[in-house]
Amino acid sequence: MKTTMTGLRAWLVQRVSAVYMLGFVVFVLGHFLVDPPGSYPAWRDWMRSPAVDSAASVFCATLLAHVWVGIRDVALDYLQPVVVRVFALWFLGVGLAGAGVWLICTLWPQRG
Amino acid sequence: MKFSIYRFNPERDPKPYMQDYEIPLLAEDRMLLDVILRLKTLDDSISIRKSCREGVCGSDAININGRNGLACITPVRGLKEPVVLRPLPSFPVIRDLIVDMSQFFKQYHSIKPYLINDEPPPERERLQSPEDREKLDGLYECILCGCCTSQCPSSWWNPDKFVGPAGLLQAERFIVDSRDRATQERLDDLNDVYRLFRCRTIMNCTEVCPKGLAPSRAIEKIRLAMVKVRLERKPAP
Repeated sequence: MKTTMTGLRAWLVQRVSAVYMLGFVVFVLGHFLVDPPGSYPAWRDWMRSPAVDSAASVFCATLLAHVWVGIRDVALDYLQPVVVRVFALWFLGVGLAGAGVWLICTLWPQRG
Repeated sequence: MKFSIYRFNPERDPKPYMQDYEIPLLAEDRMLLDVILRLKTLDDSISIRKSCREGVCGSDAININGRNGLACITPVRGLKEPVVLRPLPSFPVIRDLIVDMSQFFKQYHSIKPYLINDEPPPERERLQSPEDREKLDGLYECILCGCCTSQCPSSWWNPDKFVGPAGLLQAERFIVDSRDRATQERLDDLNDVYRLFRCRTIMNCTEVCPKGLAPSRAIEKIRLAMVKVRLERKPAP
């Protein structure tokens, strides 16, 4: 079976990332409902706990992957001229990479 | 009953136009095709493809009030007036309600719609268990009318690359056939950015299929079969 990031793999990335993101959002909202942090330091400490920190890191990665596959699909459908499509995907890739760096610098300044 | 019919004769008309007709319904007019054929006796220039007149051949697939269907099994009395008849959307028009289905059948042939089995043939026939035969239900009944593919936005965007719901339904029909030995090759052939995975699960195909089939479910089963093969695949040494 082919292993390029085209058919099945991209489809799986989109589905698995969607399920993970849904689970993470439910987890965060559930936590805020059941045990809401009373202050910014409390929220920050909760976010910096290893489990939440790891889960949030994976969330950011899955979000970027999900956006990449989704918008790539739109480009494959609507942008028929190859030059336009390549430019759009290049622009998207650069934009997502920048968003990823910005996310890291904002949420994990010690890593950025 | 009032009709508005798409007319286009490429040898005569600079562009397509809609022509209005009015014809009283008779007691024997049951299906839309009955009335179209009577209209044709009044204006023999109207062109439509038809054959069996009982929903088996799929020849008379047209767009009826915005929805694809077979004229021969569409009850005429339930239709909203004026009944707007157009050729199947997105297919090139040959004349009036007749479309060119070359691309459609090209995609159909691309999935190799026949059993592939190089094992020595048995003396009589390749048998199936009742359970294996049951897996073909909901797949083999496709009459290739093109209603699903013509109403599928993914096919509109990439008709030359996306196999389309009808072709994929047929692909699943051979993938699940216990007598076929080319399952892996069939899955490999479809594991491409366009051929299968342009399907966005819009489900127009299942909505309009005049035979009540579910191409979208077949497409989902192909994807799951690919996932299953991927999970079962042994890692390379």
